[in-house]
Amino acid sequence: MLLDGKVPSGPIKEKWDKHRFELKLVNPANKRKFDIIVVGTGLAGGSAAATLGELGYNVKAFCFQDSPRRAHSIAAQGGINAAKNYPNDGDSIWRLFYDTVKGGDFRAREANVYRLAQISNHIIDHCVAQGIPFARDYGGLLANRSFGGAQVSRTFYARGQTGQQLLLGCYSSLMRQVAAGKVTMYPRREMLDVVIVNGHAKGILVRNLITGQLERHAADAVVLATGGYGNVFFLSTNAMGSNVTAAYRAYLKGAFFANPCFTQIHPTCIPVHGTYQSKLTLMSESLRNDGRVWVPQKADDKRPPQQIPENERDYFLERKYPSFGNLVPRDVASRNAKQQCDAGKGVGSTKLAVYLDFADAIKRDGRAVIERKYGNLFEMYEKITGEDPYTTPMMIYPAVHYTMGGLWVDYNLMSNIPGLFVIGEANFSDHGANRLGASALMQGLADGYFVLPYTIGGYLAGTPKLNPATSSPEFEASERAVQAQVNKLLSIKGQRTVDDFHRQLGLIMWEYCGMSRNNAGLEKAKGLIQNLRAEFWQNVTVPGNEKDFNQSLERAGRVADFLEFAELMIIDALERQESCGGHFNEAYQTPENEALRNDEKYCHVAAWEYKGTGKAPELHKEPLVFENVHLTQRSYK
Amino acid sequence: MSKHINLTLKVWRQKNQKEKGHFETISAPDISTEMSFLEMLDVVNEKLTLAGKEPIAFDHDCREGICGMCGAVVNGRPHGALKGTTLCQLHMRHFNDGDTIAIEPFRAMAFKIIKDLTVDRSAFDKIIQAGGYISVNAGGAQDANALPVPQDKAELAMDAAQCIGCGACVAACPNAAAMLFVSAKVSQFALLPQGRPEAARRAIAMVREMDRQGFGNCTNEAECEAECPKQISITNIARLNREFFKASFGSAVK
Amino acid sequence: MNWLANTLTSSIGKKLLMALTGICFCTFLSVHLAGNLTLLSGSTMFNSYAAHLHSLGVLLKVAEWGMLLLAAIHILTGLTLFYQNWRARPQSYELKKRAGGRTLGSATMPYTGILLLAFVIMHLLNFHFVDKSQTTIYAIVAAAFAKPIYVVLYVAAMIVAAIHVSHGFWSAFQTIGANHPKYMPLIKIISLAFALAVGFGFGILPIYISMGA
Repeated sequence: MLLDGKVPSGPIKEKWDKHRFELKLVNPANKRKFDIIVVGTGLAGGSAAATLGELGYNVKAFCFQDSPRRAHSIAAQGGINAAKNYPNDGDSIWRLFYDTVKGGDFRAREANVYRLAQISNHIIDHCVAQGIPFARDYGGLLANRSFGGAQVSRTFYARGQTGQQLLLGCYSSLMRQVAAGKVTMYPRREMLDVVIVNGHAKGILVRNLITGQLERHAADAVVLATGGYGNVFFLSTNAMGSNVTAAYRAYLKGAFFANPCFTQIHPTCIPVHGTYQSKLTLMSESLRNDGRVWVPQKADDKRPPQQIPENERDYFLERKYPSFGNLVPRDVASRNAKQQCDAGKGVGSTKLAVYLDFADAIKRDGRAVIERKYGNLFEMYEKITGEDPYTTPMMIYPAVHYTMGGLWVDYNLMSNIPGLFVIGEANFSDHGANRLGASALMQGLADGYFVLPYTIGGYLAGTPKLNPATSSPEFEASERAVQAQVNKLLSIKGQRTVDDFHRQLGLIMWEYCGMSRNNAGLEKAKGLIQNLRAEFWQNVTVPGNEKDFNQSLERAGRVADFLEFAELMIIDALERQESCGGHFNEAYQTPENEALRNDEKYCHVAAWEYKGTGKAPELHKEPLVFENVHLTQRSYK
Repeated sequence: MSKHINLTLKVWRQKNQKEKGHFETISAPDISTEMSFLEMLDVVNEKLTLAGKEPIAFDHDCREGICGMCGAVVNGRPHGALKGTTLCQLHMRHFNDGDTIAIEPFRAMAFKIIKDLTVDRSAFDKIIQAGGYISVNAGGAQDANALPVPQDKAELAMDAAQCIGCGACVAACPNAAAMLFVSAKVSQFALLPQGRPEAARRAIAMVREMDRQGFGNCTNEAECEAECPKQISITNIARLNREFFKASFGSAVK
Repeated sequence: MNWLANTLTSSIGKKLLMALTGICFCTFLSVHLAGNLTLLSGSTMFNSYAAHLHSLGVLLKVAEWGMLLLAAIHILTGLTLFYQNWRARPQSYELKKRAGGRTLGSATMPYTGILLLAFVIMHLLNFHFVDKSQTTIYAIVAAAFAKPIYVVLYVAAMIVAAIHVSHGFWSAFQTIGANHPKYMPLIKIISLAFALAVGFGFGILPIYISMGA
């Protein structure tokens, strides 16, 4: 089946305006008659819940953390892009649109990206009005910095904590609506099912994580803003609790999952140092502005870095990409680091790291300048590793950071299930096969503040009202199924812990479905995952009981879903016989080892439909049409 | 360089809010000094699970010091003894072979214990609901550069806005007061022109809600400032006091 | 006037009451100390200071009742704070260490406060509520400090007062919001100096007199 993204007709610059006019409206007095469920309270979910409350809808917002302020959007460091062109350096909505489409290696939906660029400016206006303390120049106007290899300075930032400040802004708006009685907040709840009534999403089933009680919630529409699935790799820069469960359970109920194999590996993370490791910490991309990446020229060089003379070092990014040097995009930098380590030139005790050296920058600008620019990052690095990056080169290695894939949505951000909307990282829409730096925050807030509040009105106004009861058979069935899974997990009482399985799954995914992939490896991984999943359901042990605060049980449910979802990723990666952005299949590369797209066969969104346990999912394609941007080979030489 | 140490943990175990808690002694052998404190707890929990016992419940999420979800009192200090650090950023290289480590939850009447080291900090959300926001709806804002903000004011606001809402200030305060938390939010908005229109209402409403939630009174002990993982200064508390007096005696807000 | 009650019974309002009354006491201490130091010049000087003070007549009565009111506010508010703060942490820590914010003064405020209350009562009984018709105030003071127990008690009380003031003085400024990056270090120095002045200034008097000056 060919999927219709419902992109409005007309010139790209007018699509969103025209569409907003054509969308049906809900009368202001009628809005209070509609209930909307929002799952997840990060930038996308938090902003959506707050804005829907402001408009007058009754909102129920859910998060698994103890407070909406904890969502992992909070950890974004660098900044948020907008086409304000305040620095007068030639930026425009069109340029932001173009850069994002190209950066995504031409696998995003053009109309969505253009809308994102258009809205980007309103986001900054709104965030400043909310009291977010963005960095400013001496004159009191907003400061910008360049980011992620962009040729203009369009990134707004609040020190290295932009995500935190934007999220707290969102959270404050959300709390204001809670106080106004328009949003009811349900923290420490995990969504375990979407309830479909008459083909429409009309509710969810959640587990109260403190009491263990299963709760039913009905509404006129359901919004998923549940983030990405990077933790399928076990080790990632995601928070410990980030998971695919909500999105995957929607998939099980018929929502299509799009491009699951598109994952982003961030080049500058602190390397893994032991098997006990629980997560990876990102060091801002901005470090590559001054740091030089190198490895020893000869393999297995055990000398400390200071003793390796200049002529025995290989500054491989500068050597291979003379014009972009250390500032190549994330996917390129990551792959090159991996190649060096695969060739045995990696450094550190695990040999899975490369140096990021500031010695030249310190010599050139002085320690004080470097300290002012990166002091907090250096401090963080020292806290974790115990080494001083002012005197010893940092060691970095790529780590899973963001997932471009997600539930399929149309131009209205609605999935193929009517009434089920998906926003933020949880959907697939705007970043194609690779996300540019400082664009995730932009997308989350665009969806929540300025897109969904319009489009959901169109759905609600154009659909007969159902008023489903939580006592309906659909809710009954949903609760029975969820209860059965909980019971099953607690009853196995095997020999291996949940984390143990998760860690093994992560190793398989990282090895065969990570930075670079090949068909044989993917096939092998598929078998390994199936075996691991079978073992999980035989041999996992989940202590405690269900009517209790039981963190092992929480994790068990999430890992069970990761074990199934991982296979979907593999299937998608195998189907896409090309390389693009974050998906690099070794069989498809240019002579210079760059990703080689196949636009004739794969210029589409791959959306997968669940067909039942043990059955292969069915592929649906949404063709990607580029009317405004020419498809070209990315080059950073 | 990494090495391995043997530790003894004295951990607070409490089944739920109602039952009485107690300390349990758990040995933690062969801990790599490169682990973070929470990774050490992970390792202990894996062992407890395999031994058929209940693992230690503790809140955590981002594990990079920004979400504010983790926190416990380690050897008498919220988030451990290292300055400017959350518990997830504390590493085991700061401990020695043979150490006994006491781990307790944050204690305050306003923070009820949920289980073991997990506490309920929803009182903080309630305080923010009382006024920790600027009343602006999406869509109505003017151009972001229409309102210049002096750079030093923006920086001071950012210093306060860094608060991660972890509750270490309450845990550290001999009186279990929440003044540093409240003052950080009030200061952020008081320093910015966007926040001035509601400043009086905000200061009064947030202080009243803080009192209602059962936090103690500030007696300027300054322990909060010393323990805050984001090193938020008590000059913010002085600013909160000023804002409160201005609002109470100089505005029409009742 | 509901708003005033709401303001003054809030946590910050109570601090304000403590700070303002505390500052009044600091002012009183300064005046009292200046007066008492006349003891060092001998009985004539001291008695004439007392006579001047008493010649103020009704003004003195107003000051006394005012002090009593201030004391009532300071003590009652302090006790309320003490009780509420104790209640705010129903279960105390098994092990709690300081992080460097707390000082000897700040940690002992309620206790030094109660000791000072006891001292003030004793002090008033010693020197205020006594029959002064047949003697001079200097004679009463000299008689009292002839007993070593009073010397010890008074010196000890002055050490307690110094500790109380060492936190109370700067804390009052912090409470009324007068914390400024340029002036706060100075306030802290003055706070310490004032505490030392109170401790030494008052403290040496009993010793001086007992040595039979």
